[in-house]
Amino acid sequence: MNNKDNLRRIIIATAISFIFFFAYDFFVLQPSIKNAPIKKNETKEVKTTKSTLKQEIVATIEAKNYEVKIDELGRINSFILKQNKFNENGKHLELIPPKLPKPLEVRFENKELNKKAFSTKVSVDKSYIKLSGTKKTLTITQNLGDEVVKKTVTFYPNGRYDVKVILTKPTIYYISPGYRPNVAVDSLTIHGALIKKADGTLEIIEDGDAKVENINNAIVTAGFDRYYTTLFFSKTPFEAIVTPDDNKNPILFIKSDKNLNLIGYIGPKYVDTLRSIDSELVDVVQYGVGTFFARNLFLVLDFLYKLVGNWGVAIILLVILVRLLLFPLTFRGMVSMYKLKELAPKMKQIQERYKNDPQKLQMHMMKLYKDHNVNPLGGCLPLLLQIPIFYGIYKLLLYSIELKGAHFLWIKDLSEMDPYFILPVLMGITMYIHQKLTPTNFQDPMQEKVFKFLPVIFTIMMATFPAGLVLYWTTNNILSILQQWIINKVMEGKKLLKAKK
Amino acid sequence: MLRKIVIKLINAYKFISPLFGNKCRYYPTCSTYAIWEFENDNFIIAFFKSFLRILRCNQFFKGGIDYPVVSKKLGSVKFGEKREVNYWYIPIKKNKFIVIKVDR
Repeated sequence: MNNKDNLRRIIIATAISFIFFFAYDFFVLQPSIKNAPIKKNETKEVKTTKSTLKQEIVATIEAKNYEVKIDELGRINSFILKQNKFNENGKHLELIPPKLPKPLEVRFENKELNKKAFSTKVSVDKSYIKLSGTKKTLTITQNLGDEVVKKTVTFYPNGRYDVKVILTKPTIYYISPGYRPNVAVDSLTIHGALIKKADGTLEIIEDGDAKVENINNAIVTAGFDRYYTTLFFSKTPFEAIVTPDDNKNPILFIKSDKNLNLIGYIGPKYVDTLRSIDSELVDVVQYGVGTFFARNLFLVLDFLYKLVGNWGVAIILLVILVRLLLFPLTFRGMVSMYKLKELAPKMKQIQERYKNDPQKLQMHMMKLYKDHNVNPLGGCLPLLLQIPIFYGIYKLLLYSIELKGAHFLWIKDLSEMDPYFILPVLMGITMYIHQKLTPTNFQDPMQEKVFKFLPVIFTIMMATFPAGLVLYWTTNNILSILQQWIINKVMEGKKLLKAKK
Repeated sequence: MLRKIVIKLINAYKFISPLFGNKCRYYPTCSTYAIWEFENDNFIIAFFKSFLRILRCNQFFKGGIDYPVVSKKLGSVKFGEKREVNYWYIPIKKNKFIVIKVDR
């Protein structure tokens, strides 16, 4: 009895932590747009000044994975990813869209100064840097008469760059991490800007919702699309500015009048890379609603991936892992099955008597179970526990750059649909078999008809879903079939034993 | 409004639920329990109670017959008024009733 009480406590504890997870996700991690202080008068819109220069390239930085080009105004004009993964139609991926501002763009509050800044060429100390293994530094200087802006930029091989902005005279200026990458933008996923404050709260401004905002104690300001980001980070809080563009998409700046030390990053939202720069940056990877859950699920899946080296296999292992976690529950059910066999004659009787009334049949069965202290049914909780995991995987396949282009057997990309429809069909078949093996009773004949067609409906529905998701479901079905088959065998064995006696 | 949407959703779930096999350890099943709760109780309480019921619906709990119990104050019926009976309320304590849907 004591043991049972303990088990109950464990279940309740698990349940409470689940409630906590969801509540935390919902109340804490949701964008807190309402609380943000909006001081409209303080910040005038950071106006774009048309440059008179042609934006010629003055410096190029080449690393193994990327190539950066700095233009005449001292901004990052081009950032190209060189890995094969990021090739699209034979072209390398460009993360800097033509829209302004570009990363490292500096604008001044003073109109005269600003005008001058956008018509004065910068000078650089090197015009070509080859990064091989270690970081290297480029110094960009812009002489504006009585003000000299010096930007010391240190590039790292993983896409990180450190910026040191030094002014000769204090004046209010704005520096931008750049317009968000415009590579993977669709209506299915969120894209826009993210600002993390020093107290850990996040503010997510989706494209189309931006308004003028000042955020005082920000430590991260990032523009992001589905897979890529450009960001600034600093351990010492800074003042982040959001201004909307013509489409109400957020444009990010950092406002300052002193020298600044910033860490920047441009590139894919690899969790590992971001964490290696600073653990605060992991939050830049957003998964939409359910981010907290998806992020933790990613850690598990990533761990499995690092064990086996294939995302498809990792998903299969995840299914098995979930099943193993639920095994104590399944096992109790199986033990219950044994006891149940002794009640078979009584069950038959009840089944005969209430043949035409499934409601009553169900009730009397329950009564019988309770009288004999058995219950063979698995329960709703193990079933419903699958839903958040399924949803989490869906989110991961949608947002994780790690899972993009993950191949598995004949599938080239688990985050896209199976081009040959093998997996969805396989899922339909396994679903059908599982249906055949599981005893069910129906409340109305219409339901029974629809039920028979469900595998077909689900096959069609799942055909366009990411292959990884279908893989998860198919594996789950196969394991369910296996489990049901074992249960059926056990029951049959019992029956035979009884018959012999 | 919200109540109606939730009940519709649960009904939709009930319709496809045979897909997952007979699973529920209780009578009435969790989904039926939830519908009865939502039709007879405060929305938040109904939600909470249904949630707890699902949590209880696993191999570590006995299962069996478990009807929703609601607090209710019964009003009077005017003389001659015809009312459709949807639920039976079986009193167990003062203002506490076991809810059973009328079987039609």
